[in-house]
Amino acid sequence: MKNIEIKIAGKSISAQAGETIVQALWKAGMAESVQTGCAGGVCGACTVTVRFIDGKSGGTELACMKIVEEGMEVFPCPVEPDKAVKPVSNPDALTLQSVFPTVNRCTKCGSCTTACPMSIPVMDSVMRMQQGNFSEVAEDFTTCIHCGLCRFVCEDKVKPHNMGLWIRRSLGKSQSELHIDNEDPDQIEKEWQHLIVGDKQERMQRAKKYRETGSILS
Amino acid sequence: MMEWAKKTLEKVELSRKERLHQPAPIPTETEAESILNNFHPDYSGKERTVAVGPNAGNQKFPLELADLLEADSFLPTSHTTVPDIETDVLILGGGGAGASAALALEGSGFNIHLATKLRLGDSNTVMAEGGIQAALAANDSPRRHFADAMVGGHGENETGLLRILCESGPKSINWLSQLGCLFDRNSDGTFRLRGGGGTSVSRILACRDYTGLEIMRVLKDAVRLSSTNILEEHIAVELFDDGNSTITGAVLYDRKSARLVNVSARAVILATGGSGQLRLQSFPTSNHVGATGDGLVMAYRQGCRLKFVDSYQYHPSGACYPEALAGQLVTEAVRSAGAQVVNSEGLHFINELAYRDVLAGAIIKEIREGRGVTTPNGKQGVWLDTPMIDLKNGEGTLANQFPGLIHRFESYKIDPVKTPILIYPTLHYQNGGIFIDSQCKTELQGLWASGEVTGGVHGKNRLMGNSLLDILVFGRRAAESVKEEIPERGPLTLTNLKEFKKNLPESLTKSPLFFPAASKINLDIGKLEIGTAKSDSSSLDNSATFEPPDPFAH
Repeated sequence: MKNIEIKIAGKSISAQAGETIVQALWKAGMAESVQTGCAGGVCGACTVTVRFIDGKSGGTELACMKIVEEGMEVFPCPVEPDKAVKPVSNPDALTLQSVFPTVNRCTKCGSCTTACPMSIPVMDSVMRMQQGNFSEVAEDFTTCIHCGLCRFVCEDKVKPHNMGLWIRRSLGKSQSELHIDNEDPDQIEKEWQHLIVGDKQERMQRAKKYRETGSILS
Repeated sequence: MMEWAKKTLEKVELSRKERLHQPAPIPTETEAESILNNFHPDYSGKERTVAVGPNAGNQKFPLELADLLEADSFLPTSHTTVPDIETDVLILGGGGAGASAALALEGSGFNIHLATKLRLGDSNTVMAEGGIQAALAANDSPRRHFADAMVGGHGENETGLLRILCESGPKSINWLSQLGCLFDRNSDGTFRLRGGGGTSVSRILACRDYTGLEIMRVLKDAVRLSSTNILEEHIAVELFDDGNSTITGAVLYDRKSARLVNVSARAVILATGGSGQLRLQSFPTSNHVGATGDGLVMAYRQGCRLKFVDSYQYHPSGACYPEALAGQLVTEAVRSAGAQVVNSEGLHFINELAYRDVLAGAIIKEIREGRGVTTPNGKQGVWLDTPMIDLKNGEGTLANQFPGLIHRFESYKIDPVKTPILIYPTLHYQNGGIFIDSQCKTELQGLWASGEVTGGVHGKNRLMGNSLLDILVFGRRAAESVKEEIPERGPLTLTNLKEFKKNLPESLTKSPLFFPAASKINLDIGKLEIGTAKSDSSSLDNSATFEPPDPFAH
């Protein structure tokens, strides 16, 4: 396996081709230099910025997903969570503006979209937020891991991922309650007793049968 | 791409058309038993009894866990017991179970602290992909859900707990929906339900292949909006008792200030999760960084018995190539949607929805018998034929329903729509854990437990979608029980711990593990006394002297 030199916060370490930054840090005994949570690309803890000595363009990354490359310089970039905002039922653009007043400050620089490690079209989605196209926003932010990088890089203090979550939760809260059928309690209890009573072998037999028909009548 | 696998990939492609309409058989009971006995890691005999504690001599544990149960505490015997924080309820764990418990305690009037080793939400919950079970279909019922889980768990499930789990399915989905979770729906507005290994009807709700992420980000947001005091990067080190076995608090280690913090609590809810990072028998794991079984170790020292901890779930489809993704989960939902499990010869050797333990064993069998595929790194696996999904369900299905899978393999220039994925079983779930009753009470007063740290509800093999339900149901249930039965505040002593240590064989190792061995993170907790900060800060701080670059300068 090919050896690769990378720098982490100024310190050189040796890594192997094909490893992620986190894997390289663990091997080098420097696990604590980048905050890590799931190491699987979904918790958003291990945000870093990356640049290259040769001037190749870098960017923001998740250290647990980014593969090491020769000449890579990695800088920890932990993002503190922003204050949560209570969702509302039946949200609209005006309510969004009142709880996230910076939404209209977006200057369309596109940094947020570039920063997103999940390839979410963040800036376009902020436009949709301004227009109140919330179901599309909800779809855009389905894969948002709340790493906060979009907010971190925004010079105009727009908070895309906070708004994305607020919109998703608000739409969610507007869902009608699930109708849960009321079945005959005596019949239900009879079925439970049928499934629960007896020794293990008997229970297994009954469960196997019940799986086929969904009822104790044969 | 994957030039090294060209030959075997050709065979997989060649057999695809024939396999399309020909399901592979689910092994008979006798075949399944033989596969388990000969090939499943639980049956490999790599386990032993331990010499101390409530299960001394009477139960076998995996070797890696046995070592931790017999190891010494990090806490110096001289540790002072003056409380730094006084609270009513201390929740240990920041995943789905801990968050659910915190939310259910909101409005109770109690002071609540939630301590987590990492950050709130950094957990196995957030990594769950495939879905959550709830009996919502017209031909379904909580009884049918129960029957499925019972058969899947080899009849070992605690019936009382399992009944509660299944009966609480629909209510839990309603609770999540009202909190703002968005599950995938059909065009007619009803929830889209999928089948999974061992479900007799379609019962699994999902949010694409990010179901745990959707649930956890909503729970996390709701907890941040609640009155709960959140202690992030506070590692639970040991539990306190009152001198009469009632649990009265915990010692935490605050990573940021490198101090020990004594918490006095009237009730402790243990929601510390599983132990996949013990990487039993050198298996890779799908678990998050914190899954090191800390809760098992702490509770065991206090006198809580453990149940079924010899039983772990090896998820059949862990990624095996590329190396950087080794062990990461490829959700079972991919198999529900039609992806077949195929060996190096292109043979569809087993039904992809066989029970997880049987399927994992069958994959290991193929490899041991020479029908596996070897990667350039020397790892072995079998194919998960993902292109089958679009063939069966129409073009675009995979991309639409599994964006996470596409995203993860994208950077390696592997497109699961066109190319199969190489898989190998990955250590995924701790089936067993601490004994609890139907109120989530442990065998000790003052201590409740919920979620993966507990044992019993799933028997010896958990079905897909039942752990996300488990954490919600039992996290909230523990909270309800705490509300009714919270004891008065007791003194902080280390009586149980000292008693345990008396019988401890001489040991150089200490536990809990806190972080995976591979991470080489070494916390000098034993050298600390309360309030004394570590002087040589070897980690993060020096990074602050470097100016981070502007990533958008180019």
